[in-house]
Amino acid sequence: MGINPKLARLLEHPAVWRGRSAAPLQVLPTGFAALDGQLPGKGWPRIGLIEILLARFGSGELDLLLPALAALTHAVAARWCVWVAPPLMPFAPALVSRGVALDRVAVVNGARPLWALEQALGSGACDAALGWARQPQPREIRRLQLAAERGRTLGVLFRPRRAMREPSAAVLRLSLEPCAAGVRITLLKGRGVHGTVDLNLLA
Amino acid sequence: MRSLTPPSAGLPAPARERTEVTRPSLREVTRSPFIPAQAHELWAGAYLAGIDEERLIRLAERAQRFTPRVSLAPPDGLLLEVRGSLHLFAGVAGLRAALTQECLHLKVQPVLAFAPTPLAALIAARAGKPLEILDPAQLTGQLAPFPLSALRWPNETLARLKRMGVRTIGAVLRLPRAGFARRFGAAQLTMLDALMGRTPDVRAAHQVRARFRRRRELDCELQSHERLLAALAPLFAELGAFLRSRQCGVLELECRLTHRQTPVTCCVLRLASPFTDAQRLSELLGAQLRALQLPEPVRACELRASTLVPYVPGPAALWQPGEHGGDAGRETYGLIERLRARSGPEAVQGLTLLEGHRPESAWAVTGPPPVARTRRAAPGLAPEFSAAALRRPLWLLPTPQRLAVRDGMPRRRGPLRLVSEPERIETGWWDGGEIARDYYTALDIHGVRLWVFRERAAPHGWYLHGVFG
Repeated sequence: MGINPKLARLLEHPAVWRGRSAAPLQVLPTGFAALDGQLPGKGWPRIGLIEILLARFGSGELDLLLPALAALTHAVAARWCVWVAPPLMPFAPALVSRGVALDRVAVVNGARPLWALEQALGSGACDAALGWARQPQPREIRRLQLAAERGRTLGVLFRPRRAMREPSAAVLRLSLEPCAAGVRITLLKGRGVHGTVDLNLLA
Repeated sequence: MRSLTPPSAGLPAPARERTEVTRPSLREVTRSPFIPAQAHELWAGAYLAGIDEERLIRLAERAQRFTPRVSLAPPDGLLLEVRGSLHLFAGVAGLRAALTQECLHLKVQPVLAFAPTPLAALIAARAGKPLEILDPAQLTGQLAPFPLSALRWPNETLARLKRMGVRTIGAVLRLPRAGFARRFGAAQLTMLDALMGRTPDVRAAHQVRARFRRRRELDCELQSHERLLAALAPLFAELGAFLRSRQCGVLELECRLTHRQTPVTCCVLRLASPFTDAQRLSELLGAQLRALQLPEPVRACELRASTLVPYVPGPAALWQPGEHGGDAGRETYGLIERLRARSGPEAVQGLTLLEGHRPESAWAVTGPPPVARTRRAAPGLAPEFSAAALRRPLWLLPTPQRLAVRDGMPRRRGPLRLVSEPERIETGWWDGGEIARDYYTALDIHGVRLWVFRERAAPHGWYLHGVFG
């Protein structure tokens, strides 16, 4: 579909600013080419909060994140990768075998996981902070997003899938469900993205 | 003067000229080879009229921030070797102002004098003259007019000297050494040598206490945490001054709250890195206190810090943490402390691998992971996935969970479908924790991948042991 030449000339005018020329995002490759192609900036945002909505625990959400986390923990001067109140203890041998450097992994437990997650995100001490929350309020998610920007941290919040209709301040939201080929990822929110990707995480 | 020169007993009387040469006056003695090291010293002497011993010691502790070489000159003097500190206080004038401020804080008006030897500085201060003698060559000239009484020799000695017409330090320095020593004692001669820097004047540095302990009795009994923190504030201010003066940090801080009836409530703050900032210490302790249930109102509070460690300030980095490899050490310590203060000492944990084939004993929980990376890894390179790695689940249940069985097949909210070849783990027969299991990857009806095993021994139960993330 060719664009009207008059319109094209108008758009070349320097006073016209178009959304697609936004500042390049600092991103982190996900490790899956198919997903990279769909995400804004071709990867996970380096700074900010991601929400991953799950039908149920163990749907492949860690498999999706681990390549990026492994790369983060191996960086020179890598900061911590904090797991705040995980439902179970992560199995250390499996983390190591997938390339995660254990000396950068910290597990935080305590009575108030959302507070701890906000502390971890905002402290500047972490490259990534993973949190599991049942029913966070929109205001709390906004706080987490602001904290992630303050601490230059990638925050990942795992939530149940029924929260899909709720508003959220996260920079990227996606929902994830197991399917025959691996997992099906639906991009719900992101800068200029929407769509569905089927990924075989075991490939 | 000449009449004072004693005839040398037992020896033939030397020629008059020779006497002049071999018996130098006190001022002209040859320098010993040890002296030059001291030529670089600069001492500040403080005369503190009317100070008591307790305040003198407190002043000596506070003065640690100027120099570690602080010595007491009881009952009313303090000496500091400040040559190395001058540039930090913009020279003598700045140091004088800072020292005066420190003395006024303890409500005592000082007279401060600076000289190359401790005794000279002290005598000038005692004489009420705020001199600044920076050049050792000027020492004699500057000290000469001072009265002998500033030396604090015995009254009888002073009276005898006075009868001889010797009233000033300049005059006493002109006396012949040998005769002076015989008539007035070698101690006084040594003192004069120390005064002029001819012999080393070694001053023992005041050893400061290496622990902090302050108690405050409250005017009224307090129950509210906020008021309690306000009551602790002066103690924290003292702790801050204490740590600053010693260039030390605390690793552990104990707060003891005394009640009327019940035993003392103890609140211990353990820190991940040495802390010197009393303000932040007070915030952390506040967070911990708020979580505490007080059994009774508090009558007295006490702060104790027993383990002091030297504080080494970290290098300030140009980059933000996480930006071009900026260091995040300080932030990480801060995070550990905030989480611990709120959720207890076990709030932050790390993971480690253990030698072992049983999945349960192949890993362990440790303390927090290292704050700074010890080894340098190649940037951005993660090892490739191996097929075997994918056979281990990312979540492991603390204990295997028994599964329902129908027709010999496991079930969990519906039938499970086994999607892998069995992997046999049979180990631990030597220590009593023997296992013999066939592990499978299974899919439940929702498509969640599970790690299940079947016991090889009868009754061949099925268990869920992990969840693939």
